[in-house]
Amino acid sequence: MAVSSHELIAGFADPVQASQQVFRSALKAMSEPGTLMQIDYLQQAPKGLDLSTWQLALSVFDPDTRVWLSPSLAASDAVVSNLRFHCQCPLVETPAEADFAIALHRELPLLIELNWGTAEYPDRSTTLVVQVPALSDEAYWTLSGPGIEHTRALRIAGLTEPFRSDLIRSRQRFPLGIDTFWCCDNRLTALPRTTFIEETC
Amino acid sequence: MYVAVKGGEKAIDNAHALMRTQRRGDTAIAELSVDQIRQQLPLAVDRIMNEGSVYDPELAALALKQASGDAVEAIFLLRAYRTTLPRFGYSEPLDTEQMQIERRISGTFKDLPGGQILGSTYDYTHRLLDFSLLASGEAEVAPAEANALSEALAAGNSCPRVLELLNKEGLIEQSRETGDGDQIPRDLTREPVNYPAERAVRLQNLMRGDEGFLLSLSYASMRGYGDSHPFSGEMRTGRVSVELVPEELGFPIEIGEVLLTESEMVNQFHGSKDLPPQFTRGYGIAFGRAERKAMSVALVERALRAEELGEEVLYPTQDQEFVLSHTDCVSANGFVSHLKLPHYVDFQSELEMIRRLRKEQGQATQSKTTNEEANA
Amino acid sequence: MSAATAIGYNFAYLDEQSKRMIRRAILKGVAIPGYQVPFGGREMPLPHGWGTGGMQVTASVIGEADKLKVIDQGADDTTNAVSIRRFFAHTAGVETTELTAEATLIQTRHRIPERPLQADQILIYQVPIPEPLRFIEPRESETRKMHALSEYGAMQVKLYEDVARFGHIATSYDYPVMVNNRYMMDPSPIPKFDNPKMSMMPALQLFGAGFEKRIYAVPPFTQVESLDFDDHPFEVQSWEDACSICGSDHSFLDEVIIDDNGSKMFVCSDTDYCRERVTEGFVGEAPAQLETEQ
Repeated sequence: MAVSSHELIAGFADPVQASQQVFRSALKAMSEPGTLMQIDYLQQAPKGLDLSTWQLALSVFDPDTRVWLSPSLAASDAVVSNLRFHCQCPLVETPAEADFAIALHRELPLLIELNWGTAEYPDRSTTLVVQVPALSDEAYWTLSGPGIEHTRALRIAGLTEPFRSDLIRSRQRFPLGIDTFWCCDNRLTALPRTTFIEETC
Repeated sequence: MYVAVKGGEKAIDNAHALMRTQRRGDTAIAELSVDQIRQQLPLAVDRIMNEGSVYDPELAALALKQASGDAVEAIFLLRAYRTTLPRFGYSEPLDTEQMQIERRISGTFKDLPGGQILGSTYDYTHRLLDFSLLASGEAEVAPAEANALSEALAAGNSCPRVLELLNKEGLIEQSRETGDGDQIPRDLTREPVNYPAERAVRLQNLMRGDEGFLLSLSYASMRGYGDSHPFSGEMRTGRVSVELVPEELGFPIEIGEVLLTESEMVNQFHGSKDLPPQFTRGYGIAFGRAERKAMSVALVERALRAEELGEEVLYPTQDQEFVLSHTDCVSANGFVSHLKLPHYVDFQSELEMIRRLRKEQGQATQSKTTNEEANA
Repeated sequence: MSAATAIGYNFAYLDEQSKRMIRRAILKGVAIPGYQVPFGGREMPLPHGWGTGGMQVTASVIGEADKLKVIDQGADDTTNAVSIRRFFAHTAGVETTELTAEATLIQTRHRIPERPLQADQILIYQVPIPEPLRFIEPRESETRKMHALSEYGAMQVKLYEDVARFGHIATSYDYPVMVNNRYMMDPSPIPKFDNPKMSMMPALQLFGAGFEKRIYAVPPFTQVESLDFDDHPFEVQSWEDACSICGSDHSFLDEVIIDDNGSKMFVCSDTDYCRERVTEGFVGEAPAQLETEQ
């Protein structure tokens, strides 16, 4: 799909500082899993992407990151054109080839379809970015592990049962695993592969 | 009361001012210009370009001037500048077969198509100090026929590589790996080396490597510390054009030319269960006139192919991680010189440890003596 | 426009693509605590081994709102700390500070500040050799396998050889730790005195090894245990003396030789901690040797 210029929207007004700030929010979310971050450096995202997903993409993606999009995102001219134009990231066909996979919650790939890294290079894994209908600190999941002093509560709406248990079980394969960002509107949180999840409800 | 040493900022400023004065030397003597360095110390400039990884004689000469002639410092200056430069694209592979040759020597054939061309060289000079250079005088001008000959060569046809002549008979391995092995090389200035490193990465590393270190390693590989039995198949120096395919054009255009020295070594190979006995290659290339560097690279490069060729890896010269991790003069110099930084805290920890160990040992000896005295 | 920065260079020296590459490596490091993430280390205008890894991490993390503190040997005024602090003041135009309490980013060589670090502070360590197993096995291809398989017996053997010879473990700095019960990690050459501070620290800890091209991390509130044996538990250094300036008997002390006879005194290695104590009214005693001096 070529870049459609009529779909293009503006990127960050001050890309150096905005990218840094968005990265710091992502870093805080990843190092203190389940913390809800709000990012507001842009008011508009390409149709189909949440504001937080779009800002994360602008801050982290570039020609060196292979990106996979779930089917309806991949079919969106606005999403593809803007990612191509602003990030110049190559788009790949299968999630296993991707450094980052962006998926709508109802189009999630199976975790096993992603790249989990290898025992010698666990860092060569796919990072999964999921757009979900709601994110809150309600006591739905109880999180524990590095970055969490005691426990932290998190609720991510819209995940199917098999996916939830796959994610919970994936912790057994550490240091292999999938690190995740969860985006909803202008909010974002992260769950790295080290976070243990207990279903409270 | 003790006051901790303050004034680090002032001390640094003063140290740098002193360094600049020292670099200038006696102001009664004319200042050296960058052009003079470029013109009259070209071999030093070539070394800075090679290890600095930038083909730019002017910047290399500037770095050499700024570094008071310290090659390693000059290389560092050039590297730190290089790293900030935008990357416009990658050139097409250089075709050294099309080189406009100014010098070409084969140690394996007495005569060959294209001929042996001695060119300009320090080889065969008797290393006698030329005291006439002490007085500033006009340099000896090369006789007209020497100039005419080298011009004719420059204008002349390209000559085939010596090793390709061997290749026609199948006596030497192919120069390029077929299939997956012959891909676009990684750029080791953009991504870290993973071991085992492929040949293209090893060659990049060696090209940027310290000339002295590589020279000594190649020497060792020929003295039995490395299963190396080399012949210099060919050593050639000359200009090669550099071509780039701009995205918007889609076909190659010439963007300039570079002076290069290329060395191809021919090494014995006894064959393996899969391969018949044949000659193998060691390859080296360097910016400018840098024969010592190109030959050292070719020798070390061949030694590092031990594993790939199924030879037993017995010596450091054949050990990728040993060689590739330690070739870089900027890294090596940084790490050795960092010992000049304060290590008070670690040394204090060691002091405390040694005192404690000595005290404990003293007590042990004492109690042993006391026991012995009591027993006596 | 952003804060005043060096002409001809991007904010904080590194170009944005290099920063993004380093930022991605940091995110992986945080997700796999203690694992050394390979990254495309850039050449910096300072020599390797002088903090280029820490500087690359700092350059990728720092923003206009940050307040940067740089220490070397615990002190803000050592020449290398001054040099790196100036580099960022010049290239990023950020505010710098000597106060541990005020800093949002602290780049350090060889020490962890005495004052406990808080949530939302980031401690960035300069690391010369990131591989804890390097002196047991010099090959990266081998140590990588050892980490993959959690095969850390060789280190236990090395430490136990000390116990057999000296009666206790004789490593006093660069003392290996286990992070989150999985990866053996080199804490950089901090004295083992500082090791316990790493565990369950509320601040984020990032480690950068420039010429070895590795980044690793310890997220806040993560278990970091110093290696030891049941019968020879880990212990830290202690001094019989106190700081001659602030009287502290619980901080890491530097020994200073004050005359030709080798008389010595002890002062806090953490200059900001010492200053803070003096402000609070603590006073040290001049060393005995000085008092008896004629």
